[in-house]
Amino acid sequence: MTLRPPRRLHRRGTDRRPRLALTVTTLFFLLLYLPIGVVVLFSFNGQKSLTVFKGFSLRWYSAFFHDNVLIESLGMSLRVSLVAMAGSVVLGVALALGLVRCRTRLGSLAGLIMLVPLITPEIVTGVAAMLLFKGMDITLSSGTVMLAEITFSISYVTVILRSRIAALNPEVEEAAMDLGATRWQALRLVTLPALLPSILASAVLIFALVFDDFVLAYFTTGVDPQPLSVRIYSAIRFGVQPTINAVGTLMLAGSIGLIGLALAIPRLFGRRGGLDLLSGK
Amino acid sequence: MAQRTPSGALRDRRGRSASGTRLWTWLMLPGTLWMTGFLIASLILVATLALGTTDPLGNPRFGFNFDNIAAMADPAYRIVLLRSLGFALIACVVCLIVAYPVAYSIALHGGRFKNLLIAAIVVPFFANYLVRMYGWSVVLSDGGPVLKALRAVGLADGHTKILQSGVGVIAGLVYGFIVFMIIPLYAALERMDLSLIEAGRDLYGGPLRTFFFVTLPATRQGAAAGAVLVFLPAMGDFVSAQLMGGPDQIMIGNLIQDKFFQGQNWPLGSALTMLMMAVLFIGMLGYLRRTRKDEAEAAR
Repeated sequence: MTLRPPRRLHRRGTDRRPRLALTVTTLFFLLLYLPIGVVVLFSFNGQKSLTVFKGFSLRWYSAFFHDNVLIESLGMSLRVSLVAMAGSVVLGVALALGLVRCRTRLGSLAGLIMLVPLITPEIVTGVAAMLLFKGMDITLSSGTVMLAEITFSISYVTVILRSRIAALNPEVEEAAMDLGATRWQALRLVTLPALLPSILASAVLIFALVFDDFVLAYFTTGVDPQPLSVRIYSAIRFGVQPTINAVGTLMLAGSIGLIGLALAIPRLFGRRGGLDLLSGK
Repeated sequence: MAQRTPSGALRDRRGRSASGTRLWTWLMLPGTLWMTGFLIASLILVATLALGTTDPLGNPRFGFNFDNIAAMADPAYRIVLLRSLGFALIACVVCLIVAYPVAYSIALHGGRFKNLLIAAIVVPFFANYLVRMYGWSVVLSDGGPVLKALRAVGLADGHTKILQSGVGVIAGLVYGFIVFMIIPLYAALERMDLSLIEAGRDLYGGPLRTFFFVTLPATRQGAAAGAVLVFLPAMGDFVSAQLMGGPDQIMIGNLIQDKFFQGQNWPLGSALTMLMMAVLFIGMLGYLRRTRKDEAEAAR
């Protein structure tokens, strides 16, 4: 038996490989990606079947691009996402700045209101928004979807940016003011540029979230055109259409691209860890 | 004590100037007003309409009667509510059982791939919920790979079904929301002082004993946060029951959807929505009391 060197304290507790946990993890990753893999694979299926793969073909993609209803829905989803992104970022950034810096009673009330969408199931906010629009006699349309999505997204922007703003050094802003800038100028010329990477990243993220959102859009949309996710819902409820696999694959690719972009933006600005989305910290 | 900065702005004791507070309030106002106008007002509207009635033409009328609230006692609703609670709770437990080893493996054995692995879990979650659910229902379908694999190893026979059963709905909820369990658990395990595990081993605790008496209690708050984050959306979900469960396995979300779209009885739908909110509120109170206690203990 050879003499082993003493190990450092914090390593010994974790050096045994927990076989059960690693097996569960492997199985989990398999099951996590299996459904996505199935959608992608069968979007290229030459046949209508969802269980048998027969030959590579792009026919479902071409079916999608020739389907005017789906294309109109795509256009509407893009418009809604753009407007919701712009609206919620403007309102959310201002709210986040106010919440971090203003510790008045109004500030804590605003902080509470901001949490409401995060702890309410989406079906409730959806029902509530629909009732509000109907009660005010507003015809449901892409406009009502935009309003509802903005309301919902403000909280996300604020949550993402709050910790970033709190991490900023307020002395830099004060230095600008000592050099003669007004508070507004200091905010515009010093604070906002420092926040720009996080703001851009949250904007991209909101775009992806709104584009993929279903429940809120389902309750607040009018008849025609409907957002793409609502169309997908009605399609998969009434029998299987392989075109949905193609649409789903395109949406997947889009979401993953946008998430990648959101994560990459802070690095493009030469900063590491701009969005603490993944660490959960 | 008021002080002056070189720029001459008057500051309060904490170093904030009056002009600053005013600017921050102005910045906060639009977002807060927007949320109050659209969100808080609409939630109050739902609560109010739950006390309303429908006129003979089926149009909702505001009122002040408790018929809709009383209707919640109907056994038909009670069954659906209990089923929803049951499904959401089981989904929470399954999420915990699956998520814990995953978070544990990544946090303690992920090494330099930690961030990459967590990203690999989070990214699919950002993909369209319906597309993921749809793919999941194909995977769990009768001719799908999961049942084929289970049959091959003898865990299922030709009659076993996953879809169109409660198992299917729970599988859907777990697939939909497990990421909400993994992230707080991962954060808790990351934060945990690993020398605690070491201490457990030094006191001759076996791996299992150390896990149940050291690791699990140390990450209790992460598990509780995850349970709330899974339970909330699981209770309100109606897609999973529709796609994976069918008409016999409907949840309260399906009832609400039905009252607003097919049944066109908005007051009743509002009452159902409030019932769900009440159940969730009770759950949240329990969670808050629990975390308060934990924090008080930690402070002692």
